[in-house]
Amino acid sequence: MRLANLIGGVFVLILGLAVVFFSSQLTYYSEFGPGPGFLPLWVGMIISACGIYVVIDLLRKQGGKEEFFKLRTRLGLQIFITIIITFLLLPLLGFPIGLAFFIGVTMRMMGKHRWAPCALTAIITAIGIHFIFISWLTIPLPRGLIGW
Amino acid sequence: MELLNNLYTGFSIALTFNNIIYCLVGVLFGQIVGVLPGIGAPTAIALLLPLTYKVNPTSALIMFAGIYYGVAYGGTITSVLINVPGESSTVMTCIDGYQMAQKGRAGAALSVAAIGSFLAGTISIIILMAFAPALARFALRFGPPEYFALTAMAFGLLTVFGGEQPIKTIISTMFGLLIATIGLDVVSGMPRFAFGVPQLLGGIDFIVIICGMFGVAEVFSSIEEPEEGEIIKQKMHLRDLFLTWEEWIASRWAILRGGVIGFIVGMIPAGGITTASFLAYLGEKRFSKHPERFGKGAIEGVAAPESANNSASISGFAPLLALGIPGSPTTAVMLAGFMMWGIRPGPMLFKTNPDLVWGLISSMYIGNLLLLLINIFLIPAFVAMLRLPYTIIMGFIVIFASVGAYSVNNNFFDVWMMLGFAVLGYLMRKLQYPIVPLVLGLVLGNLSENSLRQALLISGGSFSIFFNRPISLLFIIAAILAYLSPVFRWALKGLRQARVEVASNSESKQ
Repeated sequence: MRLANLIGGVFVLILGLAVVFFSSQLTYYSEFGPGPGFLPLWVGMIISACGIYVVIDLLRKQGGKEEFFKLRTRLGLQIFITIIITFLLLPLLGFPIGLAFFIGVTMRMMGKHRWAPCALTAIITAIGIHFIFISWLTIPLPRGLIGW
Repeated sequence: MELLNNLYTGFSIALTFNNIIYCLVGVLFGQIVGVLPGIGAPTAIALLLPLTYKVNPTSALIMFAGIYYGVAYGGTITSVLINVPGESSTVMTCIDGYQMAQKGRAGAALSVAAIGSFLAGTISIIILMAFAPALARFALRFGPPEYFALTAMAFGLLTVFGGEQPIKTIISTMFGLLIATIGLDVVSGMPRFAFGVPQLLGGIDFIVIICGMFGVAEVFSSIEEPEEGEIIKQKMHLRDLFLTWEEWIASRWAILRGGVIGFIVGMIPAGGITTASFLAYLGEKRFSKHPERFGKGAIEGVAAPESANNSASISGFAPLLALGIPGSPTTAVMLAGFMMWGIRPGPMLFKTNPDLVWGLISSMYIGNLLLLLINIFLIPAFVAMLRLPYTIIMGFIVIFASVGAYSVNNNFFDVWMMLGFAVLGYLMRKLQYPIVPLVLGLVLGNLSENSLRQALLISGGSFSIFFNRPISLLFIIAAILAYLSPVFRWALKGLRQARVEVASNSESKQ
């Protein structure tokens, strides 16, 4: 976890420096008072200072026993990839069918359910999303190539 | 007399059939959310917020408030029965609540939690009704310097209550402020941190961030570290829910003290319901003539934190309604709701939207009464929900988060952005960067920056404007003290260690 925290600290530092750089290109003070770069510059400087503190503090300390990757981190990663695939498919499949696909796949992946209950839940989900969000709440969700 | 008039106005709105239904839906949903793992009040409200564009704001806020205090009731069930807090605000309830359940007094623990929450909540509503308008009248004196100083104080208080690593709290707050600056600058019209991406010119919508950081991020964390516990199987009859005379005597003052502590802590920006329940428990243990009973099933150990968390969830509305400053992530999400409906909470809200304010406050009486009844008669139904597979809950969260993010601007960019913030939220949780300061920085960022710029414009660029005005000076001093609190803590810790070392040295010499 120490290494992860160290990487986090370096990221904070880089972000802070980037904010300082980009906000220094904005007007710091105008004739109407503080400009658009005023607050971001200070925020960037504070983030950078905190980043430096975090990094130095971690370099001085001994590492803890806790690991960054846990037993189930892999499962979390699989769900994350499934979400990415679902989002990529949403314009093609539409929200009701796309998200139903997500439910079905994750039920199978995480819950180790049989295909039949997964498929049934997915169908109910698709119908539910269609009627609740599209028909009842009239949210203009994309319906995909099938048009449902 | 004015209070009675306000009460009459409020109840005439809250008691309409429509609003009673919204209140009932809110408290039931809140109770369910409280019971289910991996979803909290801010997530639930954030996921529902985009779906209430077309709903009357008063009704929607009544429902959201119901969710907020309903969650505190629901979280108790898991704390008592499986020793897993459904909500962070019910962590302290686990200690004695679970012990009571093991001794066969689960019914009494749940009952005292419901009764305590109801009584403390009612007291809190009464004080809120008297206090909030007074606070709003006081806030009418606020100008830009006071508002900037107030937000600075709120950010400072986050370092006091934000956990053991104040530096990470500050980083998180700054992240929030930074995200708030993305988009066109309202004064100069210049784009900031948009990097030529047209979708970023309007800024990143709060709903997108909340759906990601609280909704989907929570899913990742819950998959990785599921909260599991075994339900204590106990046949619960209605008579088991009644307290014995001794139990009632032991808990009555705990309820009152918890309620008062909850009200005060709930009002402090960044105080929150978790801190309230924590302080109420510690306070009760200190007040008790038999502190050794705590941790072994003392009923006061359930009554005090449960009364405090409900009281705090209600008093948290005082700074939100009267000042426009949210004190907790849930009220921060509600502030986003106000913005969505084009309503600005703050001192003028009591004059411009009295129906909304008093309708909302009065609905809390009804909501608390409904929750009391629900918690006496429907507990088995909620216990049954604990058996709902997490895959289904997770699926619902992802569905609501994706639909919510898409519906903000009807584009996929926001859906991807939501996923990006989910990853950020997950990593922040994992590396122990608190999320709440980011949310408060985000919602208060614009108010803070605009007030700062207006104040400096008035003063011709002189920062003395923040020190020349008494209210502003008071807030600035509080902010400085709050920011320095880690230094004080560090110094105190060093002093204590030095004393211990001196004592042990003198003992070894003897």
